[in-house]
Amino acid sequence: MTHDDDKSLTEALQAAREAGRCCALATIVGTKGSTPRKVGARMIVDPEVGLVGTVGGGCGEAEVIEAAKEVLKTGVPRRVRVDLTDDFVSWSPAVCGGIMDIFLEAVDGHSPG
Amino acid sequence: MTLHAADAATLLVDTAEDGGSAVVAIVVGGTSNARDAARIAWIVGAGAETTVHGSLGAAPLDDAAIALMKEVLADPRGSDGLHELDIDDIVLELYLEVRRPVQELIIVGAGHVAQPLAHMGSLLGFRVYVLDDRPDFATRERFPDAEHVFQADFDDPFRDVELHERSHVLLVTRGHKYDYACLVRALRVDSPPAYIGMIGSRRRVRATYVQLLEEGFDRAQLDRIHAPVGLDVGAETPEEIAVSVAAELVKVRRGGTGASLKEVERVAERFFPDGDEER
Repeated sequence: MTHDDDKSLTEALQAAREAGRCCALATIVGTKGSTPRKVGARMIVDPEVGLVGTVGGGCGEAEVIEAAKEVLKTGVPRRVRVDLTDDFVSWSPAVCGGIMDIFLEAVDGHSPG
Repeated sequence: MTLHAADAATLLVDTAEDGGSAVVAIVVGGTSNARDAARIAWIVGAGAETTVHGSLGAAPLDDAAIALMKEVLADPRGSDGLHELDIDDIVLELYLEVRRPVQELIIVGAGHVAQPLAHMGSLLGFRVYVLDDRPDFATRERFPDAEHVFQADFDDPFRDVELHERSHVLLVTRGHKYDYACLVRALRVDSPPAYIGMIGSRRRVRATYVQLLEEGFDRAQLDRIHAPVGLDVGAETPEEIAVSVAAELVKVRRGGTGASLKEVERVAERFFPDGDEER
């Protein structure tokens, strides 16, 4: 991630927290093969604002968003493996031939202290 | 003492901006009783002072995580990624985020080379500053990617932007005498910049060096200057020159040779020496 990506993600996390909103944070923690985004890429799923950042787009990201909703509901962090190797003959941009490991956590909206 | 994800992210951004290094470790699995998503941060400030924020819930886990974070930070190639720690009989799976000080590119002269170079520098992750004494050139419109665009006096060019070990100074003013004045300033800074590049032909560079030696600078100081600037790619247009300079900045950052990989690796020659016979 570039420093500017870092900054906008951080601002979005702080904004959600100040507004008292719980949101889900997805981080690519590992990849194998060719993936659209690399380790460190992040996405915030904020129930009011929507998505901030991206972990790659396409059907892989749809899976992550579904899992993020689950994490928001339960509050329990989880790991999701997104396999982009399935449909190799498809020319969809989401098909890159790689696997991404994504860590999902609920970030609480309570302000400190 | 839990470290909130938003506070951890803020620590990383702020520390890198202030010229320090920061690592955050996040529990993402393992057999320890550390709570998943628990965070601990190891911060090394610009003045080398260190602080720890947050906790994984137990002192032995924190100690092991801090030792790992120090090790990853000490490795120049250490970057974001997963690590497993064996502590007694338990396994702790950590994801580490590593941030190093933001590097700065200071472009002195806001002309035709400066424009594509500011853009490329920004793409390469530099915080870009542009300065010129001409108000019509030192404009935000001409340099949308720059952090700051200053109108500066070439007699005191670095008044508004302090030079230090993370500075990369590029001298591309409209006139050789201005480049020279700014070069002398950059060489005299207490904490030497990581890179000083000056545009100019061999003849001009030579004349500059004669003048510097006359003014009391020594050979070692001349060797710090990248002039003529850039890698030899045959650049002619401002955009091509910017590519050549940007490539040199990457070379300084990563330590490559600057040669074509084809020549470095010589795959055909090494693996297929006798024409098409496969070895």
